[in-house]
Amino acid sequence: MIDGYKRLMNLEDPLPPKKAKGFFTDTSLCIGCKACEVACKQWNQLPADGFAITGNSYDNTGHLGATTWRHVQFIEQARANGRQEQRWLMMSDVCKHCANAACLEACPTGALVRTEFDTVYVQQDICNGCGFCVPACPFGVIDRVPKESTFEVGTAHKCTLCYDRLKDDMTPACAKSCPTASIQFGDVEELQQRARERLGELKARGESTARLYGVAEGKEAVEVGPLHAFFLLLDRPQAYNLPEVPRLPRKTMAERYGWSAAVGIAFAMAAALVFRGGRR
Amino acid sequence: MMRRTPSTSGEDQEPKFPSPSGKDREPKFPSPSGGGQGGGTGGTQGYYDHPVVRRPVWTWEVPAYFWLGGLGAGAFVTASLAQTFGSADDRRVAAEGFYVAAAALAPCAPLLIADLGRPDRFHHMLRIFKPLSPMNLGAWTLTGLTPVAFARAASHAADTGLLRGALRALARLAPRRLLEVTGSVLGLVLAGYSGVLLGATNVPLWAKSKLLGGVFMASALSSGSAAVTLQAANRGAPEATLHRLAAVESAASLGEMAVITGYLLQSGRAARPLTTGRFAPPFWIGAIGAGTLLPLLLHRLTRRRHGRTLRSLSTAAALCSMAGSLALRWSIFEAGKESSEDQAASFDLSKA
Repeated sequence: MIDGYKRLMNLEDPLPPKKAKGFFTDTSLCIGCKACEVACKQWNQLPADGFAITGNSYDNTGHLGATTWRHVQFIEQARANGRQEQRWLMMSDVCKHCANAACLEACPTGALVRTEFDTVYVQQDICNGCGFCVPACPFGVIDRVPKESTFEVGTAHKCTLCYDRLKDDMTPACAKSCPTASIQFGDVEELQQRARERLGELKARGESTARLYGVAEGKEAVEVGPLHAFFLLLDRPQAYNLPEVPRLPRKTMAERYGWSAAVGIAFAMAAALVFRGGRR
Repeated sequence: MMRRTPSTSGEDQEPKFPSPSGKDREPKFPSPSGGGQGGGTGGTQGYYDHPVVRRPVWTWEVPAYFWLGGLGAGAFVTASLAQTFGSADDRRVAAEGFYVAAAALAPCAPLLIADLGRPDRFHHMLRIFKPLSPMNLGAWTLTGLTPVAFARAASHAADTGLLRGALRALARLAPRRLLEVTGSVLGLVLAGYSGVLLGATNVPLWAKSKLLGGVFMASALSSGSAAVTLQAANRGAPEATLHRLAAVESAASLGEMAVITGYLLQSGRAARPLTTGRFAPPFWIGAIGAGTLLPLLLHRLTRRRHGRTLRSLSTAAALCSMAGSLALRWSIFEAGKESSEDQAASFDLSKA
């Protein structure tokens, strides 16, 4: 019967899972060249966002969005960690491809799916632009294209981890273009191993505030799980606009429904009593 | 323009580069107004004054839908409760509430569809059943409740002779009690899910407190019962029934005040865009004043009144309550958009 239903509904079995793929973005190696931004735009044929000058260091991209899937941040720190010299932190931000993805859980159409590479992907032919994933994402990554745009009007977009390239065993465009190996692509498990080694190296060199963001043992993984695109940071997560503990809406949903139901039931009981009182 | 962030971090208190003056900047990224002592860049805790989460893309259709959907659902629940527990008069009068419910629910689906980025793909909401997503649950609930409300309204129209001939015979076939029970359950879900939907995001004003679902539920029930009263007062309902409807409405308004108080207390700093900003007047005067306080006061005045005075006061209270409910949805919705740009509130929401 299930087979008949699947034939009727034209359902396919999910593809057999492969090894989880992801990014390790080592911000200590980033030189802020923005090659990743350009390569991403070119490969994914994303339109330009205009030429705004933000005044925030060399960051004229602003933020991730529907047509910006890599964003290089420039953080100017005159003195940090008690050091007297200036520090200039750069970080190429991207969709984190969370193990428990808020956007995917929010999606009412099933447009957002988990691929065989354990990445989070928006199916453009399914998304109806309800916009729920946009405020659901704790990192402010996914966005909906405005209705008056010329590019994929009205649907939600974010980094696909170059799903099309992955299908052909190719490295995503941003990682391929990174000249300093700040963006490293590979199997998540192996990348985590590499990241831990790199962290040890930096700590040994005196980078006392270096830390990993998005590995299983971190506070940031409590709700959204390990991030398949994770980072090595040189400062607190907030300095990079990353939340300390990104919230997964599902975790508090039962409690929210509970309060809602309590109010509804209390009203129904009160109203029943009032109406009953009017009966002879 | 965003509010400046007071620094709370104990670490990394070194002075940073002062941020460049605001006048050369694109308005797209408003500049922080000064140096500040934050742990991050440009005087804030984080990356310049950039928001942590994205601004919701929803427009006016969403609060309008939440208002009408809640009102329709509340009217259906009130009318159904009167059918089960009320006197013969209550049953006859309150059944008019099914008309109100059907009328309020009719524009809901068009509003919900109009807000989509791709309205032509609305039916994709119904290609799966995924109650984990409040959006999906709401779409299914609305799809279920709208025909139930219309069927029950048609059944009442058949009873009162509004429908004639074959349509009357058809409408009389409707299983009334079953429609009332199913519709009430669906109605409570529709009235209650909208606040949970907004709460299931990372917008500080919506997500910080867990009570927003309760707030919207109470608002839906008070405005829905008010809509039933409005209809009843203008269709010559017996005074005893009007008094009982006033009592039901007051119970909902009292509940609403209690939940809103809890919601504001729990939200703390995150509620600032609602309580002190641009949206403070619609919230305090509209949602709180007109939506709960004024109806409670008017209902108190109706206690010993009769005839025209009673009808006028009931009508006024009902209109206030319904308008207040719209002000509540709209102000919380719009202030939420502002709240999404409040970097410090976002960091507070994600504190360990």
